[in-house]
Amino acid sequence: MIGLLGAGGLAVRLGTARDATPPRPSSPVTLQRPTLRNPWGPREFYFTRAVYSSYGQRWRGSWATDYPKADLQFLTVLRRLMRIDAYEEENAIRLDDPELRRYPFLYAVEVGYMSLTDAEVRGLRDYLLAGGFLVVDDFWGTREWLNFEAEIRRVLPEYPIVDIPLDHPIFHSFYDIDEILQVPNVGLARWGGGRTWERDGYIPYCRGIFDEKGRLLVLINWNTDLGDAWEWMDDPEYPLKYSTYAYQLGVNAIVYAMSH
Amino acid sequence: MLESLFELLFRYRPVVFQRGEFVFAAPWPVLVVVLCAFAVAVPVVWAYTRVGGPVGRRDRLVLVGLRVAVLGVLLFCLLRPSLRLATAVPQQNFVAVLIDDSRSMRIADEGGEPRGAFVAKNFGDTSAPLVSALAERFQLRFFRFAAEVERVADVAELSYAGTRTDLGRALERVRQEMAGLPLSGVVVVSDGADNSRASLAAPLVGLRAAGVPVFTVGVGREALARDIQVSRVEPPRSVTRGTSLVVNVAVSQRGFRGKRIPLQVEEEGRIIALEEIELPGDGETVVVPVHFEASEPGPRRLRFRVPPQEGEVVGENNAREALIEVEDRVDKILYFEGEPRFEVKFIRRAVAEDENLQVVVLQRTAENKFLRLDVDSGEELASGFPKTREELFRYRGLILGSVEASFFTHEQLQMIAEFVERRKGGLLMLGGRRAFGEGGWAGTPVAAVLPVELEDGGERGFFAEVQVRPTREGVEHAALRLAGTRRETEERWRQLPALTTVNRIRGVKPGATVLLAGTGEGIRGEQPILAYQRYGQGKAMAFAVQDSWLWQMHATIPLEDLTHETLWRRMLRWLVSDVPGPVTVVPARDRLAPEERAVLVATVADSSYRAVNDAEVVVRVEEPGGRTLELPMEWAVDRDGEYRAGFLPEAEGVYRVTVEARRRGSLLGTDVAYLEVAPVLDEYFDAGMRASLLERIAEETGGRFYTAATVGSLPEDIQYTGKGTTVVEEKDLWDMPALFLLLVALLGAEWGYRRARGLA
Repeated sequence: MIGLLGAGGLAVRLGTARDATPPRPSSPVTLQRPTLRNPWGPREFYFTRAVYSSYGQRWRGSWATDYPKADLQFLTVLRRLMRIDAYEEENAIRLDDPELRRYPFLYAVEVGYMSLTDAEVRGLRDYLLAGGFLVVDDFWGTREWLNFEAEIRRVLPEYPIVDIPLDHPIFHSFYDIDEILQVPNVGLARWGGGRTWERDGYIPYCRGIFDEKGRLLVLINWNTDLGDAWEWMDDPEYPLKYSTYAYQLGVNAIVYAMSH
Repeated sequence: MLESLFELLFRYRPVVFQRGEFVFAAPWPVLVVVLCAFAVAVPVVWAYTRVGGPVGRRDRLVLVGLRVAVLGVLLFCLLRPSLRLATAVPQQNFVAVLIDDSRSMRIADEGGEPRGAFVAKNFGDTSAPLVSALAERFQLRFFRFAAEVERVADVAELSYAGTRTDLGRALERVRQEMAGLPLSGVVVVSDGADNSRASLAAPLVGLRAAGVPVFTVGVGREALARDIQVSRVEPPRSVTRGTSLVVNVAVSQRGFRGKRIPLQVEEEGRIIALEEIELPGDGETVVVPVHFEASEPGPRRLRFRVPPQEGEVVGENNAREALIEVEDRVDKILYFEGEPRFEVKFIRRAVAEDENLQVVVLQRTAENKFLRLDVDSGEELASGFPKTREELFRYRGLILGSVEASFFTHEQLQMIAEFVERRKGGLLMLGGRRAFGEGGWAGTPVAAVLPVELEDGGERGFFAEVQVRPTREGVEHAALRLAGTRRETEERWRQLPALTTVNRIRGVKPGATVLLAGTGEGIRGEQPILAYQRYGQGKAMAFAVQDSWLWQMHATIPLEDLTHETLWRRMLRWLVSDVPGPVTVVPARDRLAPEERAVLVATVADSSYRAVNDAEVVVRVEEPGGRTLELPMEWAVDRDGEYRAGFLPEAEGVYRVTVEARRRGSLLGTDVAYLEVAPVLDEYFDAGMRASLLERIAEETGGRFYTAATVGSLPEDIQYTGKGTTVVEEKDLWDMPALFLLLVALLGAEWGYRRARGLA
């Protein structure tokens, strides 16, 4: 699914090794990252996507999966559901960009292919410890988990990854969510015949990394694909049950990130 | 000097002329004298005008004038000019002599001698010249006074140990005690260093009405030659634990101009703050803000001290003590935010570890959908923003985020205004697209409360990136002091990244103080960023930026930097620092001298902060020895909701007083205060002789003010007050040397003129 569903047009170089030069988006301007003086003026909330280095034989970085349609569609719905001053466009930013810290909410997908440079590790670590909030999504099975786990250990080696119980405020900050669903990718949703999992990722998890003060820094959606549900919710064949859940969890995560 | 010269020329002292009535006491009728004068004057004038020779018109006029003047003076003497005055009959009248027995009389500022030495010399025994002169004419009654007044038989009984001087009380008591006796006057021998804080108006009116003149004798120098004094310390009565305090300490001096000395704050012998100060000019005062943190809960005795310098006349006034109650209470603040904003997250994060602050968040996440955070119960704020005063006034502080005024009903807007005005709460409005004028707040009851001027509708689309800097007031403000010293604080502020604002603030209210100002593109000059004002009995702040969280998140801020946390903790603590509960108790004086009566004043209100006059109010006093006494408090009829009680402390130490107010059995509230009984050193502060006060007492009662140099004339002056048993006496004036000199001068002038003009 990676690359298949994403909006193309961004020239990036391939990165194949951990310390190799990461794939670069052409420039922030092309990404339409807003500045404080852009025509829309400063906004309270930017749905910010993490641009990170990844490995694998891919024609572009895994960070851009479902980008930007998922982001735009999610923003459209978000702005209708909530009373939020959200920037209407997508907003992608590299983890080693100092401007990252202007956006305290960050979304990263396909983290199973993540291969962070040292500068990205430093950037993400400082971001999270300063008060940033990261939501990861759309990675499946043991192999991808192990990769993500190894990468996030480089970022936050001191904090364990734990399951988030359903009574945690993140499941109740806007909607009450009392069940963790496995959100399938659009292909499986259409033609999977009831199958929702990829690889050996049979069970969906909502995990988190908390700091020593109990503050949630990272929300990990493993074995589930919220991004696809956001992106394809306008497809009549995509089951409403999954897109509803994906939007609910997305909105909850944002409300939580902006208040906790 | 002048007075002696006057007496030499006119035979009597000026006071005799002031008191006496001028009369002519000639034994023959005035008409006869006038006719005689004409009989002499007319031939003189005729003779001068008729005389021939080289005499011009001017010469004639001058010579006639001089000669007529000589005749006039002689005529004046023949009429026997006199002063008629009422003189006290010897030994028929009383004079009360009040001698200051307070500690300030020990100050050795008169040639190295204590002020008391003057008393010993002039009033020490009956052979002292002043006493013997007074005793010749009057029956003397001696009193000593400090906080109280007491009759003494002998001046030797004075100990100069009084810890407070209450001149008004002393005068009033003596007037009452001497009532009914023929009293010629009251003599007060004092340095005038009254520190009772009581008004003198009433005792002076009493004395004036009774016709008792007061003769004041000022002892000591008006200004001490070399002295440093901690003149004033203004700490809050109570603070919450962990509060960063700024206490203004006023230091005045004489004789040490420009010297740099340390000012330290001590607690139980431990130095908790230290500032170096440069002493101002002679007689001037410098105000030094001292920063420190109130850590341990309970009553804290703080000592603000500058070390005594060599050659100081008084060392006891180099330190002042203050009692501060450090409370371990939780101040609850309601933060209402109209939309999801990162400010909520970062403000909560900043104060999360402050055990004495509870920021309850009510955040509108969607239309009619609210997120509640850190509430105490499921019911709290369940129906949104408080709709009753009881509900809103439960909080000590209120933060309004980006929420439009039209969200609230008029009643709710009125409640918010009353929250500040009547409940004495702290209001903080944050910047945002729905805040201030841009949020339609202009013209609402809340607009009057805010320290900034709001424009109707604001300036839509306004946006500026602002570099924020503290103002002169801001850099010393408790909330904004980000580093140890002023310079470090200014440097820290310079390093902070720019923020953004969408609220155009063009001006502040006349009574407001701007603490932070911002400059940036699109702003002419500076825009107020953080301002506050007192409104009614509470305070209101405006913080017109929307992303203070950048001071935590910005890439230039190191992770270990606590600027954002410190700022918000201090700002919110300061916002609610002096917000009271519905019941309060305050001692009229929190430091008392032994045997001084303690007076407690309580205010009682209900949950909507309306004064309650029918409460049952009881105060429990825990003495230092462990004994507890309970006293009922009585409603002070002249003030709504105010109750008073008093007691006489028996031992030295810290007293804890707890007041509890009930109405019809239900508890309205409780409060705790502390007071300390210890020897007080007030006598050594502002201890220069207060001539102005003593002059005022004398002037308003018809007496006179004397210094050590002029006191010799006191016995004679009292004689002519006209009070008590008197006889009328006439004093001749015809034999005044001045008249004789005038005659000689006139005749001399005539002779001189003639010689000069060749007419002799």
